[in-house]
Order: sequence, then C-alpha cells, then structure tokens
Amino acid sequence: MKRVLVIDDAATVRMYHRSILEAAGYSVEEAVNGMEGLEKALQTPFDIYVVDVNMPQMDGYGFMKRLRAAEVPQAPAIIVSTEAAAHDEALAYQAGANAYLIKPVKPETLLTGIRLLLGESVT
Amino acid sequence: MSEPTVITEAEFQKFREYFYRKTGISFDDSKRYFVDRRLADRIKATKSDDFRSYFMLLRFQSSGEECQLLTNEMTVNETYFFREDHHFDCLVHSILPAIVKHKKDSVPIRIWCMPSSSGEEPYSVAMTLLERWPGIHDWDVEIIASDIDTGILNKARIGIFSERSIRNVPPHLLRKYFTKVGHDYQICEDLRNAVEFTRANLAEPLDTRNYRQFDVVFCRNLLIYFDDISRRTAAETFFNALNPGGFILLGHSESMSRISSIFNVRRFPESIVYQKPTIIP
Amino acid sequence: MALKRSHIAEVQPELPVQPPHSLPELKAQLASSEAELRRTAILELSKHPDSTALLTAHLKEEPSAIVRETIFTALARLGDATAIASLADCLRTEDANLRNGAIEALKLLPEQTARIIPKLLADQNSDVRILTISILESLRHPKVESWLIEVLEKDPHLNVCGSALDLMVEVGSEMSKKAIEGIKLRFQNEPYIQFTADLALKRINKA
Repeated sequence: MKRVLVIDDAATVRMYHRSILEAAGYSVEEAVNGMEGLEKALQTPFDIYVVDVNMPQMDGYGFMKRLRAAEVPQAPAIIVSTEAAAHDEALAYQAGANAYLIKPVKPETLLTGIRLLLGESVT
Repeated sequence: MSEPTVITEAEFQKFREYFYRKTGISFDDSKRYFVDRRLADRIKATKSDDFRSYFMLLRFQSSGEECQLLTNEMTVNETYFFREDHHFDCLVHSILPAIVKHKKDSVPIRIWCMPSSSGEEPYSVAMTLLERWPGIHDWDVEIIASDIDTGILNKARIGIFSERSIRNVPPHLLRKYFTKVGHDYQICEDLRNAVEFTRANLAEPLDTRNYRQFDVVFCRNLLIYFDDISRRTAAETFFNALNPGGFILLGHSESMSRISSIFNVRRFPESIVYQKPTIIP
Repeated sequence: MALKRSHIAEVQPELPVQPPHSLPELKAQLASSEAELRRTAILELSKHPDSTALLTAHLKEEPSAIVRETIFTALARLGDATAIASLADCLRTEDANLRNGAIEALKLLPEQTARIIPKLLADQNSDVRILTISILESLRHPKVESWLIEVLEKDPHLNVCGSALDLMVEVGSEMSKKAIEGIKLRFQNEPYIQFTADLALKRINKA
C-alpha cells in the first residue's frame, strides 16, 4: 500500500484529503506544518507528499527545500496552494515539487495527480 | 450518586484533533478509555455541565490554565533512570561524535539538563558517558542540571532514589554506582560531585543569561507543560545557550514544530534531534 | 579526561546582574553587525515599556530570521497598541517569514488582537482575511464564533469561507447552524465545502 503524507495546518483539509486518498486505497499520515512533516519524512520516507503552502513554523516551500536536501529516499510531491499566480507555481517547482494544484482540490484532480506521479494507471 | 460523564465518539474526535494541534500528541482509538476518564475528571473538577461547555473553557479560557492542567493529566510525567533510553544511545553514537568531529578547541564539552528534576536524567547522562562513550578518555565533559524548584535540587544533590526510579538501571551499573540505603539506593559520591545542580527558571531570560556555550541540551517533557509564549522564550533561551552546531533533545512526544522554526531538524538513527545552525542565517 | 564539575554563576535574585542598559545604548546595539548582540539587545528591550516603536521599526530591517523571531516574541510580551498595529501590518507583506511570525505573536495576545479582528476580516485583500482566520484558530476569545458566522454569511471568497468553515468544525455551536447550511447552498459544487460543512453540522448535532 502506497503511503502518502498530507501536510496542512487545517484539520479539515487533512481529513478531506485523507478521505479521498483512503477511499482510493492509499495509506495516509498527517502533519500540521512543514516542520512536523519534515520530522515524519526523515523518520520514515513516504511514497508521495501532498503539501500545503501557508503554514506556521515552516511553510510548504521550506519543507520542500529541506526534503530535497536531506539524505533520504526522495519521492514526488504535490504542492497545494490557494494562489493561482504563475509566479507561485514557478516557486513550487524551484523548491522541488513535481506538481501544483489549486485548493480546494476536487477529488478526481488530486487522485489523477497522485496516480500520474506514482506511475499508476490514471483511470 | 452522579452519573459518570459519557464522552461520545464525536466529542472524542473533536478533543483529539484539538489536542493534536496544540501538542502534537495523537491519541488513537485504543487510548479511548484513558482519554475519556481524564476528560470526565476535568469536566467534574471544573464544574462544567458537559463536554461541550468544558471544551469551550479549554478552548477559550484566556489564561490557558485548564489547557495546561489537562495536558498534565494526559501525559505521563514520571521520571526514572534512562528514561527514553534511545536518547542516551543517540548521545554516544551520534551526537557526541558529531560534536567532536567539528570541535576545534579543547574546552570541555558541556551538557545542560533542564529540568534536573530529582537528578535521574543528569546522573543517567553521567553514567552513559563513563560506561559507553570511548571519547570520555579524550575529552572533558561538564554536566549542569537546573531546576526552578530548590527542594528538588537538594534532593538531586543528595541522590537517593527509589526502587521504581532505578528499575531500568542494569544490575552491573547498580552495583558499580549505587549503594543501598534501606529500601532505596544512593548514587555514589563521585557522580554526585560530577554534576553541577543550579537553580534557574527557564521562562525567565534573566535567570539563564549566564548559560552559554553548551554543546548538548536535554529538555525532555518540560516544554509540553508550558504555555505558548513561555515555550517560545524557552526555545530562544536554548538557542542562545548552545554553541553553533549544538544539539537539543526534546521528549518523545514533543516537537519544535509546535514551538519555533529556529532550529534545524536532524535525524539520527536513534532519534530526531534539533540543531542550532552552524552559520546563523 | 573525565567528567568535570562546572560552575555557573547563579543569578542572585536581589542583585541585578549588571546595570541595565539605557534605551540609546540598546538602540545602538540593535545596529550591530552581530546577530547575537542584536538578539540580546532585543531581549533587554522587551522589558522596556517604551521600546515598542524601536522594535517595530527594526523589525522590517532585520535580516536574520532568528533575530526576527526574538523581536516577535518581544512584541508579544509588550503587547501594547503600537505592537499590535505593527504586527497586523505584517500580514500584508510578501515575506512569508514575517507574516507567520506576526500571526504567531498576535495569537499570544487575545484581548488586544480581538480589537482589530473585525477590521482585518473586512480587509480588501482576501489573503489578509484568510490569515486573520488563522489567528482566530488559536485566539482565546468569546467572539470567535460570531466573527466566523459573519464571514460565512458575507464573505464572497471561496477560500476565506473555507478557512472559516474549517475553524467552525472546532468551535461551531447551535447558533452557527444556519450560516453553515447557507454556505453549503452557496458552494454546492465544491466538494471540500460540502465535506467540511457536513462535518461541522454533524459535530454540532451530536454534541
């Protein structure tokens, strides 16, 4: 079972993503900000990350940069943001993310993104 | 006879999310009885009508006092020798080697235990260094242990411990470093003399201004009981107290992620620790 | 080589450790090129009731994230109207570090921050409104629920409402039901809104 780490400071966003992902057969863990996410990722690397941008203590970009610099097995990451500006999307890729979605995300959008990045069949 | 308060599933979820957000401690369903009982106790103690009104108190009380009381109830705060022993493994296998690798002087390595409580932790550090760290033959180490409570500091200096407290001490170390005093055990004079016990209030920056140039800080299971602003002050105090590249260890259910971003997260095989940046950004 | 006994000079409670620095001395120290010196100046300044303006002015110029965090903690300890105003100002900045620091500091000052919440919730900028709701998340104030109700009823922006709804799940009571049901109708095609609103209603009904 593939393991997903959902990082978002809003409890309901984590729950919402969890409900979508578990229904599709993924195992989900949560973190409330980039720093907690980093701690969890360092302890047991995940198969894919779903990362919010605006979080206290350490935001999504901070998490991405440190994850990519860490000596742990790397995995794809989807940044989920409220910002629709191209500038912010560029920042996400620069930080090392593989995809950029605008929140709130529709279930099909999230799942398609996850499946594509994990190399699974999309349908 | 009053009815015991029943906590519903929805209430348990609500409480669990709130507590996780505030402390990072997550209760799974197996902890239901543990949590429900303590919630029921606090609901009764605060004379709240029901869970809902208790939760409002918890959530909105401006002093945050109930939140701290509840945290106290929800966490196990017993001290004993070699508590969370993976930290001591980490000290000898990962932390000290990292410090020694970058050390350019022969100034003693300094370790700060805060709080000292009754001394179990600093004496555990001392024994670990003497028994398990080869580097003790090459480097001097100073151990300072501090607490806000002068009574407990005195107790620590005397160094008499119960059976319960020494239960994880391996028999050969018990024989080597302790003598039996009635039903209790006293740690040997050499170790009592090796640790400097001082009084300090971590939430008061003025108290800790002389605490500098430490290589390692142990602050386990203390910050969880602090309010938000005191926690931040404490993080800054430790930051100031550490040398660049110095390490701090928190309790297993604690995390800097709820407190401050000034430290870097480091993962060693034995534990996650936090490190003061070598170059101050 | 072995365990050596150390001696820390303990602070005598009756005597000051050293004569306190004057405001001009501390101001000069704030301009030091050494982060450590700037930080100690700030720690001392946090005890000076007149230092808010000085700290506020320095906040925007401070290059070190760590020293900035010390300023935020200092402002939170001082907590006067000037401190609050300058913290609120930081919500508008592009600098995420500055924004987050300000939010953390404001969360620590419920009474003072409460006074500026209505104005912030009416800000033109939807990002400021979202950030204000994140302050409410940890704000210990009895008006939090009614502020959230007003957002759900009046705010046009999807993500502002989403943030308010998220918090409603924790603090929502009977009096919020109507506003939550309203938001469900307003954003019928948004699965996240439906999910979260249903959760909030479920919690209110069962509790």
